[in-house]
Amino acid sequence: MRVILADDAALLREGLARVLAGAGIEVAAQVGTAEELLPAVEKLRPDVAVVDIRMPPTRTDEGLVAAELIAERYPEVGVLLLSQYVEPAYALRLLDGGRGSTGYLLKDRVLDVDDFVTALQRVSAGETVVDPALVAQLVGRAREDHPLDELTGREREVLALMAEGLTDRGISERLYVTPKTVETHIRHIFGKLGIPTTPAHNRRVHAVIAYLRS
Amino acid sequence: MRAVRLVLLAAGAALCWVMVDGATRLNAVTGFALLSPLEAWFHYAVALLGISVGLFVWDRRPDSRAGVLMTAGSFAYVLGELNVVFPLSALAVTAGLATMEIGSAIFGHLVLSYPSGRLTSRLERGFVLTAYAFTIVYSIPFLLFDDPRAPHDPDVWECPFCAVPYTHVGWHNLSGTRHTLDEVMFVLVVLFLVLLVRKLVRAAPGARRVVLPLAAVTFLLGTRFAVQVGLFLHGSSTNFWTSPAMFWSETIGVLALSLVLSAGLLWGGAGRGAVADLVVELERTPPGSVRDALARTLGDPSLELALWLPERASYVDREGRPFELPASGAGRAVTVLGAAEAPVAALVHDPVLLERRALLAAAGAAARLALENERLQAELRAQLAELRASRVRIVAAGDEERRRLERDLHDGAQQRLLGLGLALQLARAQLGQEANGAAEILSEADAELRAALDELRELAHGIHPAVLTEQGLGAALETLAERSPVPVTLVEMPEERLPATAEAAAYFLVSEALANVVKYARASRVRVSVLRLHGRVLVEVEDDGVGGADPSRGSGLRGLSDRVQALDGRLELESPAGCGTRVHAEIPCG
Repeated sequence: MRVILADDAALLREGLARVLAGAGIEVAAQVGTAEELLPAVEKLRPDVAVVDIRMPPTRTDEGLVAAELIAERYPEVGVLLLSQYVEPAYALRLLDGGRGSTGYLLKDRVLDVDDFVTALQRVSAGETVVDPALVAQLVGRAREDHPLDELTGREREVLALMAEGLTDRGISERLYVTPKTVETHIRHIFGKLGIPTTPAHNRRVHAVIAYLRS
Repeated sequence: MRAVRLVLLAAGAALCWVMVDGATRLNAVTGFALLSPLEAWFHYAVALLGISVGLFVWDRRPDSRAGVLMTAGSFAYVLGELNVVFPLSALAVTAGLATMEIGSAIFGHLVLSYPSGRLTSRLERGFVLTAYAFTIVYSIPFLLFDDPRAPHDPDVWECPFCAVPYTHVGWHNLSGTRHTLDEVMFVLVVLFLVLLVRKLVRAAPGARRVVLPLAAVTFLLGTRFAVQVGLFLHGSSTNFWTSPAMFWSETIGVLALSLVLSAGLLWGGAGRGAVADLVVELERTPPGSVRDALARTLGDPSLELALWLPERASYVDREGRPFELPASGAGRAVTVLGAAEAPVAALVHDPVLLERRALLAAAGAAARLALENERLQAELRAQLAELRASRVRIVAAGDEERRRLERDLHDGAQQRLLGLGLALQLARAQLGQEANGAAEILSEADAELRAALDELRELAHGIHPAVLTEQGLGAALETLAERSPVPVTLVEMPEERLPATAEAAAYFLVSEALANVVKYARASRVRVSVLRLHGRVLVEVEDDGVGGADPSRGSGLRGLSDRVQALDGRLELESPAGCGTRVHAEIPCG
């Protein structure tokens, strides 16, 4: 797998490149600004671009804007966004594109190399990846008189994994149950929450997060 | 100029004496007396009084042309009678016939332009010019054709009662022309009365007070004149010289005119009394209403007051806001009170008040102390406004500082720690199977590092959440609600971005209020609403907890109250025991 790293912190970029190289991932290029990122993607066509949300010049959401452009112009290139804070508003904006091959992770996740590589592989395979901390925050939010209360413990677990972007099979592997059981859980969850069942994977994630946010 | 006036006074006295002398001798000359000696004396004494008053007003009120007009009118009035008093002198007859109606035109001019002596409207100017032209035109047929001998004998070339340019054609041939001229005169007199009423109606209340007495007298006199011309047109021979009623009404009218004119111009009409009222009123006037009192006294509701602040060397209004004096010619007049180099205040007023400089000065002097007071207050208000602005700037600077701090933490320490974490990962991988104490130490270091990263993230978020800067108040409050252990409902959120200081103030307010709810309220739910209304952001945080919150308990809420007040907003806390707590704040947002 070939990736491009876009982050203005050189030390972090170098470290990440070496860690990824150790895990057998080819880092095709490293860039420090969003302006350099697009030409690099154009030229190298990596499997995934790993992009920091805050980059020069304004250090607000340049990375996000670049990610949206990549998603639009290069459908075959996956984008994994890293952020110091994970905000539902950003996650929804990212998923609004609705194309999959997208991930949104807390930057600290790079320290867990195996998990990070897994996330890269999933994005590369066209899946959606959402940071578990964000999902935990959304699922764990205190609510009054909410349909979420009707979910069983198992169903909540499934809902959280769904929101993280796992497929039915991924969930079944994580929970050590059969895919058929997962399907049943998901049907129950959607029924209780009143979410229309949508086949497309990333739309499902979007619907779940939008629901949890409401 | 005074010498000119003295010469004119002497000339007036001599002229009147000559007229009295001529009038009393008229019997001997013509065989009949037009005026009794008493009537003659009285008549020319009044005329001399008119001249004297005119000269006196001219002397005392050089700013007004009324004195000049009064003098000229009185002279013309006497000269216009020369032909009657000295019928045997061709020169006197010529002078008398030439000036006989000019006096009326000058008096008309005087009254319409009173009290400044300057005509303001184009209509009045046109009328006065027409009147002057008409009086000259009116004289021409008399000068050329008037032959008072009866019956007229065209063969006798000597004409002792005729003017020098007499043509011997005979007036009676032109009686139709004279009738037409009198009709025009009648129309002009009526028009004058209309203009007089118009002037009164249009005058500012203060100016009206000054004009009214003169106008009333003139109105009576003008009406009398119109009646006389009207009677003449209907063939009545009743005129000034033959009817005692006509004589006395006109002479007394002119006397009244002189008296009213001098009283009005020299004592400022009701002005002085109004200034006395002003002095009394200012005693009782609440601070800040000096303008209203002055506006009433000067009879100009449009009056504006500009106060001079020596520190700033500029004018301000009474709220302390900068005040620009209108440029000259902008239809407004400016009167500066106090010395030119160190003014106290300036009045911006209707230019008509310039005609009453004495009253303006008197009113200004009377209001001086009150104005000083007002100026101090304006100064205080200006300083207060400056203080407010600086408090807002300080809060904004504080917000900016927090944003910068958060950014520095994000770009600096957080990235470095992450880099360090990655280095640790590499080190662990390098160490591999050499399982001695080092791996364990590295694991501990890794755990510490992650904890540090978490703490640093929380710290940076608390200093100034990035989402607030980047996504606005709504998104930031969503995140706040999601992290709260007590269920939070966001009832209302502004869709658009608000000014940064208002967003920050509202965010930290809700954040602190939610923290208090979690700590003390034992609430089961919280409702938060942020509403932008009429240039203010209304923030409300309401819980269903135990209530009884004491605003002096924590420094958090007091700090927030200070922050809100610094932005010129206000914060209210309602927390009756057992009935929940409601925090309500209003923050200005432009």
